[in-house]
Amino acid sequence: MSLKLLSSKTIIYHIILFILFCISVNHFNDLKFINYVAYVFFHLTLIYLVFYYFSFILFFIFFTYGVLLDFFLINYISPHLISFLSFILLFYFTKKYLLNFSSNKISYIIFFSILIMFIEESLLAKILFNYPFKFDDLGWLIITTIAIFLPSLLLFSRIDKL
Amino acid sequence: MALSFKVKAISRSNFLKNLSLSIIFLLSFLLIFFSKSDYFLVNKFKVISNNYIHPITSFVVAPINIISGIKTQFNEFKNLKTENTILKEEIMRLKKWQTLAIQNSSENKVFKKLLNATDNNLALVKTASLITKSAFMFSKMININAGLKDGVINNMAVVNHRGLVGRTVDTSINNSRVLLLTDHNSSISVKTISNQNYSLLQGADDGVHLVSIFNKEDQLPSIGDLVVTSGSAQIFPSDILVGKIVKKTKYKFYVLPFVDFKNINYVQVVENR
Repeated sequence: MSLKLLSSKTIIYHIILFILFCISVNHFNDLKFINYVAYVFFHLTLIYLVFYYFSFILFFIFFTYGVLLDFFLINYISPHLISFLSFILLFYFTKKYLLNFSSNKISYIIFFSILIMFIEESLLAKILFNYPFKFDDLGWLIITTIAIFLPSLLLFSRIDKL
Repeated sequence: MALSFKVKAISRSNFLKNLSLSIIFLLSFLLIFFSKSDYFLVNKFKVISNNYIHPITSFVVAPINIISGIKTQFNEFKNLKTENTILKEEIMRLKKWQTLAIQNSSENKVFKKLLNATDNNLALVKTASLITKSAFMFSKMININAGLKDGVINNMAVVNHRGLVGRTVDTSINNSRVLLLTDHNSSISVKTISNQNYSLLQGADDGVHLVSIFNKEDQLPSIGDLVVTSGSAQIFPSDILVGKIVKKTKYKFYVLPFVDFKNINYVQVVENR
């Protein structure tokens, strides 16, 4: 388990994850699209890590990032934490079925998982903390996901080949 | 012998996995449960992450901040000619007002002496500069470089030269987080200058305006009225400028804040004198 965590590829993914987290929690007035890209890419990397580099340590990593994202973006803890932990738990119990799928099917599952996560986070923020469910933000997130999904998968496969 | 050792090792690792999973979920449940009730543990965690993680994230995104700054400067440079014309007109207008203001100021001094009135109800706690801003998707907050060591505590009013900015929410030794007026969970009690119409405002869905959630009078104030803090909630001192009413529906009115939340560099933490 610890070997898997410390392999060079996994370290690269974790560095990417940390940089994306830093960008997501800081706001740039004239470069708002960077926030969207970083936020989407962060979710994508998390889900990719779960599918292809699953280890038990990921539970702790999901927990830490969930709490920190909630704290920095919402100031209350819940939406990201619940969304991340429910996703990884769902994967944990269904991985023996999911990993039998072809890589194409897994890509579709990753794509729809990320969209479900965004909706889940927005809904939880609305229900628990009264933050408005903004369709324009969600729209931008979906557009960004569509735009960066394939390039990011290509980048990930490049990293996998290292 | 070897088989029994292997079985023991597997069962021990399974036990550890299950134990750590249980701890994670129990901790998550506790954090979620206490996050809204401002429990000591959650506050402590917020303070630690504010003190240690924010500086790291700021360091990592420093290159993007530089690019963002260059883009802002470029945009400002592009609009220089238009702004120049506007400023010239403004100077002409202000010169006329200046004469009037000087007259009024001297009159004011005399009247204040006659009424034995105090000058201001605000006491400055600390002037601070902005460290980071988080206004992406959900909450609208800023981080400032003033904290407990400067006398800043939770729920103090934060203003700048244009008016009310927000209130402090998570104060650590060196830093504080400020919940901006435009945040959906910020609520302030205000009154109109013209007819003392009392109401409560919170951040609107668009993230720019403030919207009334409660109005004391039956009649809504009119468009163009100026809104100031009423001082009735004991958090904000009274008579701090908030904004101007720009839109009205049947039950609500919308206020455009005077503060430009995109360009906040310095703020002042104040309290009642």
